[in-house]
Amino acid sequence: MKTIEVPALARVEGEGGLYIELQNGKAVEIRLDIYEPPRFFEGFLKDRFLQEVPDITARICGICPVAYQMSSAFALENALGIKISPQVRAMRRLMYCGEYIESHALHIYLLQAPDLLGKESALELAAVAPDVVKNALRLKKIGNELLKAIGGRSVHPVSVCVGGFYQWPDAKKINALLPELEWGLQAALDCVKWSVTLPYPDLEIDYEFVALHHPDEYAIIEGDILSSNGRKLSIAEYENGYIEKHVEHSNALHGYTVDGSTYMVGPLARLNLNHEQLLPIARKAMKDAGIKLPITNPYKSLIARAVELVQAYEEAILLVKSYKPEGRSFVELKLKAGEGTGATEAPRGLLYHRYRIDDNGLIQFAKITPPTAQNLPRIEADLFALAPKILAMPVAEATLTAEHLVRSYDPCISCATHFLKLEVTGK
Amino acid sequence: MTKIAVIGIGQSMRGDDAAGIEAVRQWSEKYPETAVRPEIQIEADELPGLGLLDTLHEVDAAVLVDAVQSAAKPGTIHRLDEGELAAFISDSKSAHGWGVAETIRMGRQLDEVNSAIRIIGIEIEQVEIGAGLSKSVRDAMPAICEIIEEELSILLR
Repeated sequence: MKTIEVPALARVEGEGGLYIELQNGKAVEIRLDIYEPPRFFEGFLKDRFLQEVPDITARICGICPVAYQMSSAFALENALGIKISPQVRAMRRLMYCGEYIESHALHIYLLQAPDLLGKESALELAAVAPDVVKNALRLKKIGNELLKAIGGRSVHPVSVCVGGFYQWPDAKKINALLPELEWGLQAALDCVKWSVTLPYPDLEIDYEFVALHHPDEYAIIEGDILSSNGRKLSIAEYENGYIEKHVEHSNALHGYTVDGSTYMVGPLARLNLNHEQLLPIARKAMKDAGIKLPITNPYKSLIARAVELVQAYEEAILLVKSYKPEGRSFVELKLKAGEGTGATEAPRGLLYHRYRIDDNGLIQFAKITPPTAQNLPRIEADLFALAPKILAMPVAEATLTAEHLVRSYDPCISCATHFLKLEVTGK
Repeated sequence: MTKIAVIGIGQSMRGDDAAGIEAVRQWSEKYPETAVRPEIQIEADELPGLGLLDTLHEVDAAVLVDAVQSAAKPGTIHRLDEGELAAFISDSKSAHGWGVAETIRMGRQLDEVNSAIRIIGIEIEQVEIGAGLSKSVRDAMPAICEIIEEELSILLR
C-alpha cells in the first residue's frame, strides 16, 4: 500500500482536502473534501435593503468581487423591472474586463504556470524566469488599475449599485490607462503564442460545457444559458436545468444538471461555446497559434484563459476609447415586491443569483450559485478519469498531476463555501 | 523628496487582524504634523496580496504595520527587518493569502522593490469575525503609535 499525503494544496483559493483511494489499478473513491466552514452569505442578506447587496456580495471573493456585484445588481434590477442604460452596460463590461485581466493573469502565470514549468511556486519561477513573472505582475496590475479607476479601489470596489453606478468614473483616469492597455494587449498576444508551447499532461474528457451565450458579443453579463449538448435556457429558467445537491464530504453544494450529470463551467466552456463571438484580434490570435476547438483537456484551460486575456484587453481598449459619460449614472429605483434572477460569467464560470424582495426592497430570500460549486463534481469525475494514468507514476509525480488538475480549474473554494489537503491512498 | 509609505495591513472585520490598520489610523490622529507631511503616504490594505508590490515599488521607504502570531504574549510589539520576517511566514497557501514576507521576497527577487522596509508586528490573540480588537492589543496601541513615529523620524532625517 502506498500513501501520499500533502498537507496543503497550494495555489488554489480556499480550504479543502483531496482524498484518492486506489485499489487494483482503479480509483475506488475520490473526494474533494471541502471543510471550509459555510459562510452563510445568503443568510446575512435576509432583511437587508437591496441596495446593500452588491457591497455585501462583493465580500464573497477578493479575486472576483466584480462578478458577485454584477450578478446581484442584474438580479435585483430584474426583480424591479429596471433596464440599465447602454452606457452603464458598457461600463459594467469594462469593469468586468478589469477583473478578467487581473484574475486570468494571476492564474496563468502565478498559479498554473509553475506546474507546467516544473516549479514549486511562483517565487521559484521568479528566480529562473524573472521576466515572465515581471510581465505577469504588470499584466495583472493593469487589471487592478482599471478596477480602481472604475470602482474606487481594486479589491471590493464600491461604485456599483442596483440601477447603475453611484457616479460616473472619471474619464481622465480611464483614458490615462490606454498606453498600458495597449502594452497589455501585445503581452497577452505573446501569452497566447506561449500558451500553446507548454507541456500539458494528456487527458481528454467528454465534457458537457455550460456558459452564458449571447449572439452579438462574447457573453459575460447577459445572454442565455447554453449547454454543449443543446440545452438552451433563459437565465430565469436556470434552476429548471441545473440543481445543487448536498454531499456529506463537502461544505460546498455540488452542482448537477437535472439529468444528474456533471458539467463544466469556466474559460474552456466559454471559449468552446462562444468563440464565434470573440473580437477580431482575439480570433486571429487563436488562428495564428493554431488553436483548434473544442479543447477537451482540462489542463489546457490555460490556453482559453490566454485567449480571453487578449479578448479582455481588446475590448477594454474599445470601451475606454468610446467612453463618454453623459446623463445620470443610475436609474431611480421604484420599490415593489418581486423576484429576480441574474447570471454573469465570473472568470471561473457561470455565477447565478436569485432574490426575492418585499415592498420595501428588503431581501426575503437569496440564492447564490458560484462557479466552483458547479465544477466540484466535474473535478472529482476528472480525477477518476485521471486515476489510471497516475497509478504507474512515482508518488510525488502522481500527487503533482492530481493537484495540477484541481488547480487548472482555478477553484475558488472560499467562494463556493479557504487550503486544500491532499491525501492519496494506494492499495 | 524621499517618499515614505506607512502601511497598515489586515482585515478590519477579523478581530485582532485589524491591529495594523487601527494602529496606523491612531498614529495619524496622534501625530497629525507627521501624517500630513508631503513625503508621507498612508495606506490601509485589507487584502494587499501582490498589490503590496505596487505601493512598495513607488516609494523609497516603507513602514509596514501588521498583525503577527508567534509564541509571544498578545500585545507584544515586534520590530523587525526583512530578514527577521521569515520567522513569521504566512501559513496561508491560498492566492488570497500572499503573505507579506513572500510578497516582499518576490519584489526583491524581481528588482521591483528597492525601498527600505521596516516592519512593526503586533502579537495578536484572536481573528474572530466581528470580534473587534482584544484588550491586550488595544492596550498596546499607544506604544505602537510611538514606535511608528520613531521609525518615521529616523527615515525622515
